Amino acid sequence: MSAASLRCRPLRLAPASLFLLALLPLLSACGYNTIPTAEEKAKAAWSEVLNQYQRRADLIPNLVETVKAYAAHERETLEAVVEARAQATQVTVSADSLTDPEAFQKFQESQSELTGALSRLLAVVESYPDLKASQNFLALQAQLEGTENRIAVARRDYIEAVREYNTTLRTFPSIIWTWIWFDNEPYQTFTVPDDKIEVPEVKFD
Amino acid sequence: MARRVGEGVLAFLTLLILAIVPLQAAELPSLTGRVVDNAGIIDAATEATLTATLAAFEQKSSDQIVVATIHTLGGEPLEDFANRLFRFWQLGQADEDNGILLLVVHGDRKMRIEVGYGLEGTLTDLHSKLIIENTMVPAFRAGDFSGGISRAVDDIILVLEGNAAELEARAERNEDAGGISGDTWLVIIFFIVWGTLFFGGFAMAILPRMFGRKLGPRRYRWMGMDFEYNSSSGGSGGWSSGSSSGSSWSSGSSSSGFSGGGGSSGGGGASGSW
Repeated sequence: MSAASLRCRPLRLAPASLFLLALLPLLSACGYNTIPTAEEKAKAAWSEVLNQYQRRADLIPNLVETVKAYAAHERETLEAVVEARAQATQVTVSADSLTDPEAFQKFQESQSELTGALSRLLAVVESYPDLKASQNFLALQAQLEGTENRIAVARRDYIEAVREYNTTLRTFPSIIWTWIWFDNEPYQTFTVPDDKIEVPEVKFD
Repeated sequence: MARRVGEGVLAFLTLLILAIVPLQAAELPSLTGRVVDNAGIIDAATEATLTATLAAFEQKSSDQIVVATIHTLGGEPLEDFANRLFRFWQLGQADEDNGILLLVVHGDRKMRIEVGYGLEGTLTDLHSKLIIENTMVPAFRAGDFSGGISRAVDDIILVLEGNAAELEARAERNEDAGGISGDTWLVIIFFIVWGTLFFGGFAMAILPRMFGRKLGPRRYRWMGMDFEYNSSSGGSGGWSSGSSSGSSWSSGSSSSGFSGGGGSSGGGGASGSW
């Protein structure tokens, strides 16, 4: 009796499992794709942030050399920049460890340290008219300004992408997938609203 | 009591919406053409010449250059506003991001050249900076806005044309820029046919009875067509189009309006002030 019912089972299950298999592609409509899509977008936005910070780091040796040529005795400020750059290039956060608040905090701190050192350097430059007028410095300054602006844009885009990603992890249709399938954690994002070089304002009144 | 709470909530929500809306919609000007002179500092002749130059250049290279002037930023940083405006207008072709926005803020005495991702390598930050400092600032200081802007546009085009091989390749990739591509037409035609089939029956069954003139029992005249409904089935019967002039519907306005191609910018370019 019991053996017979056991033998029946696979046969009875076959249509059910076929039915479930047929339903599988429909899962995408239930928001299954939402989480990975948002995650990839946030990761892409993050690599753009890293890319732009790297670009800034790459500009610095040239900038330091140029300033040195005109203002060699501003040793302290120059060394501070070089040191901050070394620090900042050591601390990177890969796209896979974006959930780690500590690493992210460290990255943010080291970058804003570099921002501060660069601000001080540019403030010092103000008292060297020859340096300010040199073509080389003008070119570097334009690139540095452009990079700072790109960093700001990349940060904004990352913040927005993370906001979207974290929202999918916490809102209704997609949250079900967080429970039963993914074990994703929210990404960290920038807490300091803006990390920009304070360019000293010069006014001719 | 409950009602008062409800009213309170409603009032709160209204306040909330009122508070949020102005923040969200910080007046981005609309893209009315290749030259959007909201500050009114470009004279008519220059504007016409500029529009022609820019249109011709897009024809040639698919690069979209737009000149915009506004009165004031209202306290927003210039770079943020320029980037927001660039992305709102979506300058440049979608896959190339080859747009350039030349923004002049008259009241704040600032200007910016915002460069799309795709042109960052050609019109570098330094190029933009030099154009601003050497071409625009002197002219603006002398009060010659039209001249400064048109010379800056000439400079931008000169730089973009400097990379001739890349320019031609880009133009070739986007040959039908501006117009509607074949694929889009197919989709549009499909939806017109599908929509006609799908909604036409409903419309013919209902609208003549509502808006038409009654001719007799179950006979209506609407938009120059006679409709006859036989009630045998009780549903919407067949309709026969009458003699007189066929329905006239124009196929959309063929607006010569200019719109962005879907490009984006990551904050390249340079700013200046005068």
